Amino acid sequence: MMIILTGLNHKTAPLAVREKLLAACTEKTDLLSELLALPGVREVMHLATCNRVEILAAVKGQDQTTQALRSFVAQSAGITQDEATDCVYTYCDEAAVLHLFRVTSSLDSMIMGETQILGQVKEAYRQALEKHATGALMNRLLHRAFRTAKRVRTETAIAANPVSVSFAAVELAKKIFGNLSGKKVLLIGAGEMAELTGTHLLGNGVQDIIIANRSNAQASILAEKFHGEAVMLADIEEKLAAVDIVVSSTGATKYILSVDAIRQSLTRRKNRPLLLIDIAMPRDIEPAAGELENVYLYNIDNLQDIVDENLQSRKREARLAEAIIEEEVRKYCDWVRELEAVPTIVSLRAMAEAIVQAEIAKAAPWLETMKDEERQKVQALVNAVVNKLLHNPVAALKEESADFGSAHITAVTRQLFQLDE
Amino acid sequence: MISIASFLFKLTFAFCALSVLAYLLSLLIKKVVLAKVATWILVFAFFLLTGNLLPAVFNPAGLMSIASRDFFTFCAWSVAAAYLVFQFKTKTRILGAFVSPIILLLLIIAAGTAADKSLVPADLRSWLTFAHLIPTIGGEALFVIASCAGAMFLIQNSSLKHKKLSALGRLLPSLHDLDRINHHGLLWGFLLLTLGIFAGAAFAVSAWDKGWPTDPKIIWTFAVWVTYGFLLHQRLAIGWRGARMALLSCAVFIIFLFSYLAVKICFATVHNFI
Repeated sequence: MMIILTGLNHKTAPLAVREKLLAACTEKTDLLSELLALPGVREVMHLATCNRVEILAAVKGQDQTTQALRSFVAQSAGITQDEATDCVYTYCDEAAVLHLFRVTSSLDSMIMGETQILGQVKEAYRQALEKHATGALMNRLLHRAFRTAKRVRTETAIAANPVSVSFAAVELAKKIFGNLSGKKVLLIGAGEMAELTGTHLLGNGVQDIIIANRSNAQASILAEKFHGEAVMLADIEEKLAAVDIVVSSTGATKYILSVDAIRQSLTRRKNRPLLLIDIAMPRDIEPAAGELENVYLYNIDNLQDIVDENLQSRKREARLAEAIIEEEVRKYCDWVRELEAVPTIVSLRAMAEAIVQAEIAKAAPWLETMKDEERQKVQALVNAVVNKLLHNPVAALKEESADFGSAHITAVTRQLFQLDE
Repeated sequence: MISIASFLFKLTFAFCALSVLAYLLSLLIKKVVLAKVATWILVFAFFLLTGNLLPAVFNPAGLMSIASRDFFTFCAWSVAAAYLVFQFKTKTRILGAFVSPIILLLLIIAAGTAADKSLVPADLRSWLTFAHLIPTIGGEALFVIASCAGAMFLIQNSSLKHKKLSALGRLLPSLHDLDRINHHGLLWGFLLLTLGIFAGAAFAVSAWDKGWPTDPKIIWTFAVWVTYGFLLHQRLAIGWRGARMALLSCAVFIIFLFSYLAVKICFATVHNFI
């Protein structure tokens, strides 16, 4: 049996191709059965996300089946064989295991270290389990992949620091306020970015959200979504005294919050810290506000710098992750190789045991004339001879199995002892 | 007996030094896990410190015949106790990297003083001196914690103001937690210092006729008390907080420390023994 992984991802195929393949995969309700019906495919699962579509299979008869799987992918994506040569990749055995572990640990993702992919692989595996499409080989493979992803997450800091602007804003807020529960947020401008940041802040315990927008209708829609309050742009200076975090993202061409307005609010708010996040272009908040005591002002570039630095640190952590993955790949591959030798050893021992029992049964009439003690000695002698005879072949099988090419010695052993008959 | 006590002191010293090393290493490699380990080492060292003080507590000659070494060990014990209380309440483990060297420093001073000589002169021993010393040391231990939290606040604040989230910034607690520790340190420290000053004044009134209010150390201590009182007033009434309070509390503590040394070296005072 061999493990084959074939498919395409954001690095190898353009969006149009991925889109088409993803649609083809999600449309087919019995995709797994269709794949299982291909000649040589014994176990199979498929992973389809917006960044990658991959088929993972345990197959017998490598060349033919690999070709069948590749054609299947190419046909579903609606691309020619030539195009497929460029964008469809295929990995076998160790390389396939390595690729799967890297994907699951989010090292192959567009945003390295993102957590979504692990959930997607788990879901794909769950679907395959439901259809009984996987067996011993792949069950173990997937469990190992999840374990590897968990190790990478806990033993490296690959997912530690945020790599999106809105998450970076939440992290900053936590470094200033500690716990965000009970804090109030003022969103100025009801755009997409403000909404995203608002959602993250709410998810982290923020209590109240006030939305101020030029168009009151838009503000009301967002206020309803966040169970917050909608106010007019003219009222924001008054609200400044009550809030802890301000996220501004309007399309205004002039400053919406002047340094004077913020300075005045500080007295009313008894110097409680104020975090200002200005993600508008051009800026909404007068930059000098950042100089005020207990005021922390960040613009889009500041947040982007933090994100860039975090991306760099993820890349550094990726090196540690690769080492963990390599170790886990080795462990899995060792297990697979031993798996091939184990049934042969079991059959060998069973055959020997059967011979011993048959011979003892034949000799029963004269064995019964012996004393109990002598009979046991004879039995022990026979066992010892058989064990000694089997010791070297079994040891050789075990040793070879830890290396590549155990198939050969296993086959020879089976032939010599006629284990398959 | 002496040898057991001296062995216990050495053991305590070793564990305190170990916790300092672990804390500093955790700062260096930026891993909180190591700070957790350091905290447990410090907890163990704290129990050892308590063990060091037990003979003085159960001394038949009375508490006030405390030896110089035990007195400084008690100072270290107070700082460790104050820190551990804050630590278990706020989980700001990395604060230990700032506090533990001070505990070790106090133990170094303790090691340099006599283990068998009484600290307080016989004519000053009374329950009032005891009531003066304990709260004063406790209050000062809390000021140490407040100042360390203040120093950490200044570091964290400067990194946030410079729009950076460095690895150190990620390791340090949030500004809110540091400000709270600073505030509680100052508040409870001030209350304890007030108690200590009252007890000291009561003793002075009963034991000495006059002249003691002009004693240099008493004047300095009073000045420190007034300054801390002023800071607390500004915080509670006007809302001074954050970087300003952090900076001022550190500054006052450093001035207080220098004045202590200056008075000890340059002037004759009724507190000559400390």
